Amino acid sequence: MTKAAPAAREPPFVIRFGPVGLAQMRVQTMDAAAVHAEVMARIASAPQLFERTAVCLDLGELEMVPTARDVRALLDAIKRAGMLPVALARGNEIVDGLARELDLPVVAQVRAVSKQSAEMQPKAEAPAAVPKAAALLDADSQGAVAQLHHQPVRSGQRVYARNRDLIVTTTVGAGAEVMADGCVHVYGALRGRALAGARGEITARVFCQEFNAELVSIAGVFRVFETIPAELVGKPVQAWLSGEDLHFARLGS
Amino acid sequence: MAEIIVTTSGKGGVGKTTTSASIASGIARRGKKVAVIDFDIGLRNLDLIMGCERRVVYDFVNVIQGESTLKQALIKDKRIETLFVLAASQTRDKDALSLEGVRKVLDELIADGFDYIICDSPAGIEKGAHLAMYFADRAIVVVNPEVSSVRDSDRILGLLASKTQRAEKDESKVKEHLLLTRYSPKRVAAGEMMSVDDVKEILGIEVIGVIPESPDVLAASNAGTPVILNAESDVSLAYEDAVARLLGETVPLRFLEEPKKGFFARMFGG
Repeated sequence: MTKAAPAAREPPFVIRFGPVGLAQMRVQTMDAAAVHAEVMARIASAPQLFERTAVCLDLGELEMVPTARDVRALLDAIKRAGMLPVALARGNEIVDGLARELDLPVVAQVRAVSKQSAEMQPKAEAPAAVPKAAALLDADSQGAVAQLHHQPVRSGQRVYARNRDLIVTTTVGAGAEVMADGCVHVYGALRGRALAGARGEITARVFCQEFNAELVSIAGVFRVFETIPAELVGKPVQAWLSGEDLHFARLGS
Repeated sequence: MAEIIVTTSGKGGVGKTTTSASIASGIARRGKKVAVIDFDIGLRNLDLIMGCERRVVYDFVNVIQGESTLKQALIKDKRIETLFVLAASQTRDKDALSLEGVRKVLDELIADGFDYIICDSPAGIEKGAHLAMYFADRAIVVVNPEVSSVRDSDRILGLLASKTQRAEKDESKVKEHLLLTRYSPKRVAAGEMMSVDDVKEILGIEVIGVIPESPDVLAASNAGTPVILNAESDVSLAYEDAVARLLGETVPLRFLEEPKKGFFARMFGG
């Protein structure tokens, strides 16, 4: 920061650490053609989930150590098929070496960061600058209608609305997970996990008709409900993020 | 047109095989041609409950692998003319089953004129359970009124909605029915057990039967008789009701209250 911009102007960038939506692809084979075909099939089956999705390549399941050339061929195949490989998943030193050779970052498995651990990270963001980033996110979702889901979301199922809101017109079961880059609305009981602002949108909210959630997260800040406060349990509730804190309140009261 | 019904639950020990045996017997007793298939390869039990374990020569895996014909492997029930059992293999493991193999057997049963094919799923959500549900038109989800069983059933319902042929081909979805077993009205009243309504609310599907907790179930299993054939038992009546509902009749739920002692029972201290 020795060549800092004049104080009047905003800094040229803001760094924020937090979970980002990153698909992890654990490859079982180095057969680029097979992977290419499978990626095409996945995209065809769920374009909203897979098309141009950032992918982190996990080489940990392979039996043989691949060469940088093989990995490059694989990365090309994935890219040609329509997903965007951006990193390698953390592994051993060999993976580190490959990543260096391929000029890719190595990332650890990202799960949502708990509030406690988030607090321990350096707070790099300037609060005033964040809404700008949010506005950028909004731009590419403009005009996107909310994703509607009319089936109950059962235990073990995950529903993700990319670049938009998610509306579930029925219940989200215990052990189920609903995620959206925008807001999450559940017009039934919410008994599982709800994650709004999955890619960092801090103005996203979670709404539900009957609050019994296991976990609620907004832009990576989450709260686990071991016991649900008496004033919220079973009630219509909304959750929002204010600064670094998650807030919960009854709706319509 | 033949109908394929899977009996499934996720959790083990909730009464899937008991249910498969009784539902199959109940439907067959009404004159329909029924085959009941044990998908629990390596842990075959259905033949014991049906009382035909000593007549198993060829099994499901033999048929799939072409080592016997379907005709050779189908065991005709001794009590009901139109009921047939296809036993699981005790010596193989679940990898012996394949999607194509299962499809072939089911197609052959349908071509043979069976009206109902009951697939008795193994516990869990692995291959055997997946194959048992894959071709189903309907599913009987067996659940005990307790939280872990309900959670597992929720998971199974999710799989039925996504990992079946009907789901993959975007056909009308698998019709789901909830069957509560080991229901004890006394314990529900004491707040020790979830009520029918609790379970129904969490899972959000229609209830096809409530089977009361009873020592008759164990006695019937040990005797190798499907419990529905024990005419004196409440369990039998409850399964008979479930069969009726499965076939489209409207029958009110019973055995939801603790039995009140009748006049004679009170008089004679029964």
